[in-house]
Amino acid sequence: MKATRRATPYLFLGPAMLVFGFAILWPVFMTFVYSFTEWNGYGPMTFVGVENYAKAIGDALFRDSFAHVIFYIAVTLVLEVLVGLCLAGLVSAIRRGSLWFRVAIFTPVMLPMVVVAVLWKFVYNADFGLLNAALKGLGLESLQKVWLGDTNTALLAICVVSGWVFAGFYMTIFYAAFNQVPSEIVEAARLDGAGEWQIFRRVKVPMIRNAITVSVLLCVTGGFQGFDLFYVMTNGGPYGATEIPTTYLVKSVFSFGNVGYGSAMAVILTAIVVVVGLIFARVSGSRAERDLS
Amino acid sequence: MTTTATTRSRVASRVPGILFSLSLIVIAIVFFFPMVWMVASSFKSNSAIFSTPFALPSSIDLGQWVKAWDVGHIGQYALNSAIVTASSVFAILLLGAGAAFAFSRYRFRGRQVLMGALALGLLLPLQSYFIAQSTLFTDLAITDTRWALIIPYTAMGLPLAVYLLKVYLDALPDELFEAARIDGAGDFRVFWALVLPLLRPGLATVAIFSALASWNEFLLALLYIQDDSLKTIPTGLLAFSSRYVTDYGLLFSALSIITLPMIIIYIVFNKQIVEGITAGSLK
Repeated sequence: MKATRRATPYLFLGPAMLVFGFAILWPVFMTFVYSFTEWNGYGPMTFVGVENYAKAIGDALFRDSFAHVIFYIAVTLVLEVLVGLCLAGLVSAIRRGSLWFRVAIFTPVMLPMVVVAVLWKFVYNADFGLLNAALKGLGLESLQKVWLGDTNTALLAICVVSGWVFAGFYMTIFYAAFNQVPSEIVEAARLDGAGEWQIFRRVKVPMIRNAITVSVLLCVTGGFQGFDLFYVMTNGGPYGATEIPTTYLVKSVFSFGNVGYGSAMAVILTAIVVVVGLIFARVSGSRAERDLS
Repeated sequence: MTTTATTRSRVASRVPGILFSLSLIVIAIVFFFPMVWMVASSFKSNSAIFSTPFALPSSIDLGQWVKAWDVGHIGQYALNSAIVTASSVFAILLLGAGAAFAFSRYRFRGRQVLMGALALGLLLPLQSYFIAQSTLFTDLAITDTRWALIIPYTAMGLPLAVYLLKVYLDALPDELFEAARIDGAGDFRVFWALVLPLLRPGLATVAIFSALASWNEFLLALLYIQDDSLKTIPTGLLAFSSRYVTDYGLLFSALSIITLPMIIIYIVFNKQIVEGITAGSLK
């Protein structure tokens, strides 16, 4: 459509671009600039070149934080995506009453993560927590632990909470995808004598490959950006066992005033998220092309 | 012959069906149990929470809920969340629809560059900008005002909103717009009278995921709002939980007060919400 005035498109676009540029693009650029400086946030700023990046690479705590987040991502891929996939398979295999299961399992996704985190701090509480109480009830007192205070269990405990929240989310995505699978194909497989498991494994799952790729991408990039659960449940503790890049850089910048160093870590983290995202886009894009040809 | 075969296969497929239902019931109970425990504990005293964690409360006494609501400023936090969320969603819808309209229906200089810039927003994580954003907001003295949340929430919501709304608009036939033009409608009239009404389903989807994102956002709210009277639910609840760190019944009450309305909203609007959230994530 031709605009009645040449300025029209810019008038429609202006407000959105202004807000976006002001609150996101400019700060992205400035974070990049800060990453080459030493600065406490208000005093004088000194240019230090790539020193912050060298420091980050040599920082054992920063490296550990990556090890933790990669462990978290690996476990949540199972607890969120794989469990979500199996749940979706179960739900789509039953014919009636699936709505209530979907409601029950999806509900945690709606809640603010802080609410979830505070609730689960209670579930894991050593004195009256649901988990230790359940173990006691089952006569398994020897397994009772200070779940979030034990360096061996804290990170895994957080992964479980993440699974509790997001398994329902991925289930919903996969359930919607399963519903797109033509029922003739499923029926044909059933007539050929395929059992429910075979139908799930050999027919339905291959047909929703795209949804699975997207979910893995979401789980990986979302995992790198995790913060709320970690901050509220352990804030990196005990003894740094659950320190992830974001809790570490928030501490560096907002507790210790290392804006330059924190920015360099933020840039590294951003680069990783963007590169992972682009690789996935490339992979799923080329696969879509192959499927078409 | 064929009928017996189909009957047999029906029976055979019904047996796993029952097994599936049973296992799903167990799973749903496991998923729901922490929330049931939370609500049950909200009616208990500390000693009852410690001694009989699984028992149902002896009576449904809403006294702790009232107390949590009063001393915990939950009403204030909820109001703040509502104001910030409503303002951000309104801004996202209005600015997003405008931008989507410009990208979809006009060809102008700089279109590709601006679209690319906005698409960057789909990829960039919060970590890429929040450090410099916080120094910027401090310099401009907008921290500890509602703007410190409304502006970034709007900016964060815009890329996806524009992208989705543009997809909707691209699907509309050109003739529609040409006809409006022939009827003498100018650019702004086309936008108000034609684009906005036609975009309604898309706007509803965008509204849902933007509202949930703003309602639940935590990191920026933690960094930008220190003033307790401006805190939103996530940061407010955190402040509450550090103030009443050992009054467990009260904390469970606060958690329940926040959780139950969201569950009810979800049960009523589950179809739209699921659609909104999945559309919002499948960018």
